[in-house]
Amino acid sequence: MVTAAGEEYQAEHPGIKVGVQGGGSSAGIEAAVTGASDIGTSSRDLTPDETNLGLVDTVVAIDAIAIIVNPGNPIDHLSKTQVKDIFTGRLTNWRQVGGRDLQIVLINRDEASGTREAFLKKALDKTPFTKDAVIQPGTGQVRSIVGSTPAAIGYISLGYVTSDVKMIKYAGVLPSKTNIINGKYQLQRKLHFLTKGKPKGEAKAFTEFILSDKIQTGIVSHEFVRVPK
Amino acid sequence: MNFLKWRERALESVFLICALTAIVGVLLVFIFVTIKGFPIFEKVGVLKFLFSLDWSPSDNQFGILTFIIGSFLVTAGALALGAPMAIMTAIFLSEIAPKRVQKLVRPAVELLAGIPSVVYGFFGILIIVPVVRTLFGGSGLGLLTGWIILAIMILPTIATISEDAIRAVPKSFREASFGMGATRWQTIWRVVLPAAKNGLIGATILGMGRAIGETMAVLMVLGNAPIIPKSLVGPVGALTSIIALNMSYASGDHQTALFGMGIVLFMISFFFVALIRFVSRKRS
Amino acid sequence: MRSRIMDKIAMGILWANGFLTIAILAMIIGYVVVKGLPAMSLSFIFTSPHGIEQSGGIFPTIVASLYVTILTVIFTTPIAVGAAVYLSEYVKQGRLVTIIRFGADTLSGVPSIVLGLFGLALFVYILGFGWSMLSGALTLTLMALPILMRTTEDALKAVPNAWRQGSMGLGATKWQTIRRVILPAAMPRILTGVVLAVGRVFGETAVLMFTVGMAINLPIFPNEPGRAMTTHLYLLATEGISMKTAYGTALLLMVIILLFNLSARKIFNKTQR
Repeated sequence: MVTAAGEEYQAEHPGIKVGVQGGGSSAGIEAAVTGASDIGTSSRDLTPDETNLGLVDTVVAIDAIAIIVNPGNPIDHLSKTQVKDIFTGRLTNWRQVGGRDLQIVLINRDEASGTREAFLKKALDKTPFTKDAVIQPGTGQVRSIVGSTPAAIGYISLGYVTSDVKMIKYAGVLPSKTNIINGKYQLQRKLHFLTKGKPKGEAKAFTEFILSDKIQTGIVSHEFVRVPK
Repeated sequence: MNFLKWRERALESVFLICALTAIVGVLLVFIFVTIKGFPIFEKVGVLKFLFSLDWSPSDNQFGILTFIIGSFLVTAGALALGAPMAIMTAIFLSEIAPKRVQKLVRPAVELLAGIPSVVYGFFGILIIVPVVRTLFGGSGLGLLTGWIILAIMILPTIATISEDAIRAVPKSFREASFGMGATRWQTIWRVVLPAAKNGLIGATILGMGRAIGETMAVLMVLGNAPIIPKSLVGPVGALTSIIALNMSYASGDHQTALFGMGIVLFMISFFFVALIRFVSRKRS
Repeated sequence: MRSRIMDKIAMGILWANGFLTIAILAMIIGYVVVKGLPAMSLSFIFTSPHGIEQSGGIFPTIVASLYVTILTVIFTTPIAVGAAVYLSEYVKQGRLVTIIRFGADTLSGVPSIVLGLFGLALFVYILGFGWSMLSGALTLTLMALPILMRTTEDALKAVPNAWRQGSMGLGATKWQTIRRVILPAAMPRILTGVVLAVGRVFGETAVLMFTVGMAINLPIFPNEPGRAMTTHLYLLATEGISMKTAYGTALLLMVIILLFNLSARKIFNKTQR
């Protein structure tokens, strides 16, 4: 998202170069703290330690985490406890949640993932994941494995959900835009821009640019849910 | 005249310095990986670091035995699949194939060696993973898939060196065997292979080193779970793949632990190189 | 009789295995070609990735890969040739030579991920070169050095001894002999080695991810970061954002490396005549 917005920004402001470096949320926070980047991006809230380092936080988009299964899986909803029990390894067969007699194949993200961190906090109450899960380094891989493995379950950002996989209701609620904005869907998180001190100069201009209606309804809404006014 | 002599001397030293770069390079690698990784031995304790099965960086648990076992499991299977194939290819190329067929197979082996490991990984997730999943269940990412991909990757290494070793067996050995009425296979099995034995072992160790150090392809197909696989198709992590997976975000002790794993990998690869030296010295 | 049947079976298996090797190669290449061709176009090669999907071209990644590779060759070649000259023309045996050879073997045995860690520690962090073409090339130099040393040494050894004696007999010094007789004679085979090493370096991923970075950037100066083609392929394949681009990148990567290998073979065959 930021890469795309950066391109757009460069197109509108010739002569300015927006460089985007990849990495997880911790890397983004680190970059803002050390000043390696003017703006650090992160999908998790700051720890008190990090706030004390003088980082200023601007929310630029909202992301929801969708729980996905194979389209051939008859299950279409799971309760909060069921989700927690599946990902912590207490439930291991789809039969135990009313599905077919199949061993559950868990697909997890690597620890660099902000999505994983948010899921751990919001869906698992920080109970550790089972170690038996397949670890995938990218969203696309999680999606493609879940999409092609009948017994698989995983979680990805709502923006990446395609018809290859099936979203299920979490605690009775589907991650629709309405449900996310009104807060009924619980697996959601805010995406942050972090700056050392109040954003100034180019950092400020770029932050305002990303919060502008044009980018919010365009690029941001392509993947995420826009920040409510 | 004096100038010429001086120049000769100076140039010799320059060449010597060039040659010493190889040693300096190895030392630099060892020293700097150790500087960054050694603190984890002090913090966690060497024994606990090497022999604990508990790897959960978020809880400050840094035991890497799971991945050492994982690396060796992955390597052993790849070797069991790949080495016989590679040696058969070497026998085929040196003893059996007519010139025209050689001209087809040898470039194929060389091209396999040239394919980048990330392309092998890409091919693995797109082709091998679905096949393994369909035949054996699970997610398709895991031990067996790693074996297949690595077996293909080490084939050229082992085949090329084995072929050299087999060709080095004197012609007279074969002629003597044929003269006694042995078939081609009997000659290969009873005469040629025993004579080339040390070379074949050396080739296999080299393949082993290649397999244990392989990163990208393995990272993409193993599933990288921090557990000892419970089945043939279960996910497994190798030292290399875990370093690559974690390095992008690790900091503090976690990062130090990854460098510590680097030290272990360096030691393993050093051991293999020394082993090859030992084997080849026995031959000569 | 039994031994005849055994022989037939064994020959059958060996033939089948030989063709299996070709089949595997054909399958990998065929798959990448079939899937990658639709993505291939001039604009794929000459434009930059854009948009959320990072679709479009991969120009900056090609430049980054070539940049690092060329820089590596510039660093490696003189050192490797110098080292090979020392080992084949000056001191052929002895304790020091044994140690040097052992060092080179060890270096070529170091897993690329460990080299990556080393490059990250020394060049990126300690020396402060950051993620850059320079950090990548310096690290890859250690990877290419033992390969090139070995091929160059073989090339020098293939020059007949009579030429050395002839040149020295005419009163030339050792260096004059090396420069005017041995190096020119060995040059084609040295070049073959360089091109082969280039193929290895170009296909490397782990080292480049850690030392050159992942930022999509058109590198101009050696202190700038970039994203190599291999890294790009890895990220596209795992993020799964644009599979079409991933297929295209894989194909182009294979084609470039194939070209390197074929030209190495061509140079080599010329010298054999």
